[in-house]
Amino acid sequence: MLYVKELYKSYESGKNRYEVLKGIDFHVAQGEFVAVMGPSGSGKTTLLNCISCYVPFDKGNIRLGGMELAGMNEDALASVRNTKIGFVFQDFMLLDGLTIRENILVPRIVQGKVEREAEKLAEQLASMFGIGHILDKYPAEISGGEKQRAAVARSLINNPLIILADEPTGNLDSKSSRAVIETFNHAKEQMNATIFMVTHDSFAASFCDRVILLKDGAIYRQMEKGEDRSMFQDRLLDAIKEMR
Amino acid sequence: MSQVKNMKQMEQKLQRADRKQSRLYLFCNFMALMIISAYSALMLSPTVQNVFPEGGDSRKQMYMIFVMTLMGCVVFTIYALGLFFRHKSGQLGILMALGASRRRLAPGLFREVIVLCGVSAVAGTIAGFPLVWIIWHAFRLLLVDSSDMVLTFDFKCLLVSLAFLLLVVGFACLTAWRYLKRTNIMEVIREEHINEPVKELGRWCGPVGVLVLLTGAVLGYGAPVACDRWFHTHPQEWMSVLYAPVFVGLYMVMLHTVVHGWKSRKKNPYKNIISRSMMKFQGKQTVNNMLVITLLIAGGCFAIFYLPANGISAMFRYASQPYDYFYKYQADQDVPDREEVEALGREYGLSFQEWTECDYVTLGMGGDSAIEEDGQHYHIEYVPMKSEAKVLSEDAYRVLTGQEVDVKPGTYLNLTNQEETALATDETAKEFTNMVTRRQLDTEFAGYLHYNLLVEGSITCCVLDNEDYARISEGLTDDWRGRYVAFNVDGEDSYPFANAFYHLFVSSFDETCERLSYYDRVQKIRENEAGKEYWVDTDDFVVIRYESADSFAFRSFWVYQPDFRILNQNDYLRNMAVMFMMFLFIFIVCMITAMVVCYTRCQSIALNNRYIFDDLKKLGASPAYLDKEVRSQCNNVFKVPSLVGISAMFLLFTMILYANDGRMVMTEWATMGICLCIIGLIGGLIYAVYRSAVKTIKRQLW
Repeated sequence: MLYVKELYKSYESGKNRYEVLKGIDFHVAQGEFVAVMGPSGSGKTTLLNCISCYVPFDKGNIRLGGMELAGMNEDALASVRNTKIGFVFQDFMLLDGLTIRENILVPRIVQGKVEREAEKLAEQLASMFGIGHILDKYPAEISGGEKQRAAVARSLINNPLIILADEPTGNLDSKSSRAVIETFNHAKEQMNATIFMVTHDSFAASFCDRVILLKDGAIYRQMEKGEDRSMFQDRLLDAIKEMR
Repeated sequence: MSQVKNMKQMEQKLQRADRKQSRLYLFCNFMALMIISAYSALMLSPTVQNVFPEGGDSRKQMYMIFVMTLMGCVVFTIYALGLFFRHKSGQLGILMALGASRRRLAPGLFREVIVLCGVSAVAGTIAGFPLVWIIWHAFRLLLVDSSDMVLTFDFKCLLVSLAFLLLVVGFACLTAWRYLKRTNIMEVIREEHINEPVKELGRWCGPVGVLVLLTGAVLGYGAPVACDRWFHTHPQEWMSVLYAPVFVGLYMVMLHTVVHGWKSRKKNPYKNIISRSMMKFQGKQTVNNMLVITLLIAGGCFAIFYLPANGISAMFRYASQPYDYFYKYQADQDVPDREEVEALGREYGLSFQEWTECDYVTLGMGGDSAIEEDGQHYHIEYVPMKSEAKVLSEDAYRVLTGQEVDVKPGTYLNLTNQEETALATDETAKEFTNMVTRRQLDTEFAGYLHYNLLVEGSITCCVLDNEDYARISEGLTDDWRGRYVAFNVDGEDSYPFANAFYHLFVSSFDETCERLSYYDRVQKIRENEAGKEYWVDTDDFVVIRYESADSFAFRSFWVYQPDFRILNQNDYLRNMAVMFMMFLFIFIVCMITAMVVCYTRCQSIALNNRYIFDDLKKLGASPAYLDKEVRSQCNNVFKVPSLVGISAMFLLFTMILYANDGRMVMTEWATMGICLCIIGLIGGLIYAVYRSAVKTIKRQLW
């Protein structure tokens, strides 16, 4: 589904150049729920932004559903972002002037006209994630957890190849965080969605099938869940401790 | 069911939701265009163009302040556009992140931007005209009115607004295109929350800025003077560029204010740390705004200082003139004689005393003259019959002025005013020429006499030995002879009499005397004899007509304009009405704009930092502390540009007054005193707006 090969990315600040990603290699299979963890500055968000084509990368290959992203023109990239990728931001990024229903439909609106079928799908996703009752409310009128679930619904409206989530629980309390993670699980189980999530939260990561640990722009270790979730969380915490 | 089915509907809904931000942009654009439109409409109106002398200082000053205002408005609209796009960027970024391509977003974004800035610009341009009309008619109704004050527009001024409108729309489209072109979507999304700290330059930047500013002022003002004085070259237009360091210096001063502040923090480095950091992290916009405010306040001050600078010296001159009535006429004119004037006086219940009359002649006078070489350079050469001179005999001068005078044969004394600031003086004459017989009298400069009434703007006045006078004036026809008349009123003077006498006096002249005061008949003869056309005959100069005897042009430029004290004192404001009201208008426009920019900037600083105030509250900051922080923010925006703008103009004005003659005379000290009072009033006005801004912000924040 997603292949990342020899990915390099650097930033320049004044005369200084900072290597953020130093030859990252991994792949994510269809229907897999993968998390990326690592200390601040390890390159997690940059990796996600490169995969989603939000920031250009220096070197390497990213293949998504058989398509090579490097070298694509802006129009083609926009189309990939719209149809092949669903993105969930840490701070939700809902448009304040639109209702939740309209926010969920934005990727469809961007495509062209919204048909009745799309509206039905939005309603289905909303009720699946427990936000059916707030569809006609505006973002300012709902809680953070509800906003994030709306964002997850928005990311699924075009039935993308992959959902990329950047610390989706970072701004939420534990109850809302759990609800959002359950939403992802729901999407994975019921829609066979592929999810690639950056997180600091070992609890959220423990729900994933696999966790990639990043350190200083390179992959430090990859861990698979395999057994019980809470044991997996303990192993993750140990690995993080060891990484420091 | 969703009401939003397509991109256009979504954009419309988002625009409705963002109307608060759009309103701010609309308002800023509208204000800028209204000001430019109003200023250019008045500046280019026939009302103003007919009064401001072509190539004169006042016209140059009016244009210079216009350019400053224009620059201010350009920076202001760009700032407003920046604010609008910073807010818009979040929305654009989200749509880009969700797969909206550049092509998909472009039509809606361009439509919105063009509609917003187009509508506000057109509305502002149109609103400029009623604004001028209302202010001008308020002046006419409340301050002064005259036939010159009738307001007419030349709609060519719309070209200025149109150019500005195109600039605004063009810049808006360019900014929109720049946003769409960006490939780093995360940067677009986060733009709204990214601070714009200015590049820190160290604590030297403020003092060096002051130095650079002063260097620019001295270079800009001094270079053309030096060019003229030492290199005998006419100052070139490009020399205005030498003022550029003024703006660089100003920028550095503002930067220092925002980044470091002017107070030493060695003792207490944490003092005002919150307000300084708030300022610093929005430094780029704040510094730009402060620069605009400084320019506008400086422009406003320059305009308003013009009023006392002109008014005081005139009023002082009228008050100190030794005769209530003083006039001259060409001997071939049939002006009312003493009996007729006394008869007219009786009609108004007046009698006269100290009636004095004396003859003068107009001669050709030699002297050093600037001879053009190639349009740029000139050299000084002695020219016989260089210009006209009004010449009195010793006896005539004694009769008229009551001053004892002894002029040695073969010499002349030159007339100047008490302050010795008269422009039409010449120490280089070697001979006088009788323009009818062409006989010449060798002469030599022997010193100055002081008598204000005999000093004219462009014609030299001299006194000769009685015998020299008799010899050189022999054979002169009446058109080269003239008579001075002066008298006082016994008791209180009457304006109606002065007015009636003035019109009677003007109507007694024939068309040969319908000349400008700087029309030099000697120069004309010299030029014509050399086969050239006299420059005043060739160019389109101010036209004066007897039937417009009350107009500004006539009273300012007629060659025989009399000095009737009560008439001059009463009509001064009316005669100068257009000029004074234009400068008053400029002052109002500049100050309104400056205050709007200050007010808007203070609001945006406070609102952008709302979260800091919330955090401070949570950390236990007392209302007094928060109040102090808000004041400190607003203080910088209002105080520094006001101080710099006002002081710079005050210093520039002082420098101009001093540089005129290398010293300060009493009227100039009085002018500076009045300017200080005006500064006090401006300070009060700025303080009132500052208080109001602080009050509004406090209401919004808690």
